[in-house]
Amino acid sequence: MGTPKVEFDAEDVEPMEDEVDGEFTDSDSDSGEEDIQKLTNPSKDAVYNRDGMNDKLQEISWPENLGWLHKLSLDINQEQDVDVNDDLAREMAFYTQALEGTRRAFEKFETMGLPFLRPPDYYAEMVKSDTHMQKVKSRLLAEKRNMEEAEERRKARESKKLSKEVQAQKQKERATQKKSEIEAVKKWRKQRQQNGFPAPGGKKNGDEIDLDFGDGVKPFAKSNKQRPGVSPGDRSGGKGRMKSWKGTGKPDKKIVKRDRKDSKFGYGGRKGMKKQNTADTTDDFRGFRKTGGDGGNKKRRKQ
Amino acid sequence: MAKKRKHSETVVAAPQKKEEVAPERPKRTLLGWKDKEAAAVAAPAEDKDDEVHQPTNFRNKEKVLVTCSRRIAYRYRHLMLNVVSLLPHCKKDNKVESQSSKGVALSEMVELKSCSSCLFFECRKHKDLYLWMAKCPSGPSVKFLVNAVHTMEELKLTGNHLKGSRPLLTFSANFDKDAHWKLLKEMITQIFGVPKEHRKSKPYHDHVFVFSIVDDHIWFRNYQISVPHNESDKMARGGLDKMTLVEVGPRFCLNPIKIFGGSFGGPTLYENPFYISPNQIRALEKRKTAGKYAKKVKAKTRRKVHELSNQLEAGEFSEMWKDQ
Repeated sequence: MGTPKVEFDAEDVEPMEDEVDGEFTDSDSDSGEEDIQKLTNPSKDAVYNRDGMNDKLQEISWPENLGWLHKLSLDINQEQDVDVNDDLAREMAFYTQALEGTRRAFEKFETMGLPFLRPPDYYAEMVKSDTHMQKVKSRLLAEKRNMEEAEERRKARESKKLSKEVQAQKQKERATQKKSEIEAVKKWRKQRQQNGFPAPGGKKNGDEIDLDFGDGVKPFAKSNKQRPGVSPGDRSGGKGRMKSWKGTGKPDKKIVKRDRKDSKFGYGGRKGMKKQNTADTTDDFRGFRKTGGDGGNKKRRKQ
Repeated sequence: MAKKRKHSETVVAAPQKKEEVAPERPKRTLLGWKDKEAAAVAAPAEDKDDEVHQPTNFRNKEKVLVTCSRRIAYRYRHLMLNVVSLLPHCKKDNKVESQSSKGVALSEMVELKSCSSCLFFECRKHKDLYLWMAKCPSGPSVKFLVNAVHTMEELKLTGNHLKGSRPLLTFSANFDKDAHWKLLKEMITQIFGVPKEHRKSKPYHDHVFVFSIVDDHIWFRNYQISVPHNESDKMARGGLDKMTLVEVGPRFCLNPIKIFGGSFGGPTLYENPFYISPNQIRALEKRKTAGKYAKKVKAKTRRKVHELSNQLEAGEFSEMWKDQ
């Protein structure tokens, strides 16, 4: 047999370091000196019946030249030793082992001409139910949404910090631009004057420029057009609350409601039309008949 | 008697059907393959005698009995149910009373159900899960301690695959390094590998099992093979590169304790020298915290003795307030 003999020396025995996740921790990682002593003793009398095991192996194993299709097993070589406690590295190792295995299997299946993967239209019972997969999906979506929200919040925070600076800068820019434009116009005007262009007629001030655009509107003169429905004395220019209905269309609902309420409750409220001396009431003798209607039955009233 | 006759008929029919290169694909239906041979699964599991010298007559008639002990915790029960759903060639049985003679009882039960191997989940103290893997009529059996259990119901394991499709088994290379690993590998292949053309198996291969030895533990993972849809129609080379694996679960880690020659008992062939039982671990931890008070008292007396033996020199100002 080519297999080397396993030696259980005290130096070779190391305390087992198992993984920490899951409910169970076979954690001898906190083993101090006492644990190592404990380990060496049983290891010396551990049973290792190699011949027995090989016999059993021969007994149970399937015939040698059985096609690979029956076993579907692949042996993958692991390049490096993986540290058990490093979760990410361990899972990566398992993942690469599986990936390598599927690649090799895929090649074998291709050479044999057998179908390998499930076609997308093959529907059959899956090992996890549809409701479970819905839960999984909703959880994934929720996670994604949380991440996106967190990103947005972070970005908003950052941009808020920047926005003040940006605003200040923009204002400065605008101010400088305005200044420069005014300067440019002034210069131009001066130039015109210097070059002796005739001042526009009718204007006393030589600085006034004729900015006639040709559609009959004088740029800086007050417009004669009246805004419809605005009384000349209206200081708000027609945009205030309209007390009269002669204006444009329906008044605001709020104004109607306000007027109504004012009339009902404002300044002591509406004077109820409780008792009035009018022509009708002076001629009304209902209350003065002696035994008019019921002959003294006061309970029976006119309804 | 009638069963035996049917069985021998299929044995005769087998050589015509089985070709290694490109077997004729049986008709595909939703429930599996409509196959003449699939009718013969009910035969007793004496497949050792039927193995003929030509491997073309071989038929994997492996059947696994999956049971658990009473008072099993919910997490482990779910693990057991997940294993049942992964192996279409298994039979789930009722809970077994844990008696001292459980080995004999279990072997009898396996015989009764005409299964050829057994996976027995034993939960002790409602905390520790031991898994017995045994080949039944006379085969070896292994006892494992199971750690790090994650069931398929966990929402972080997002993959899904066909129920009963045959898995690809991948073993890490260190399974061939030693005799006991080789034995375990063979047992795992026979138990976890779904027989070809099993009645309840589905045709395509869309998941992979990973058995890997790290730190003298066997780690189990189950991944779904997923390929973007437009590639899976043509099985082109392009699809190979875009293949990704999504974990389906369950996940567990096996720590071999002992290997026995018989099923659920018999001569010990292998004992794991590094194995410490969880009871011992818990006892050690308790002992560490138990001696706190005693240690404190000891430390105090030690300090006193030390002070007595090494007297401090009187400082400059120790005499100052003596009169007052």
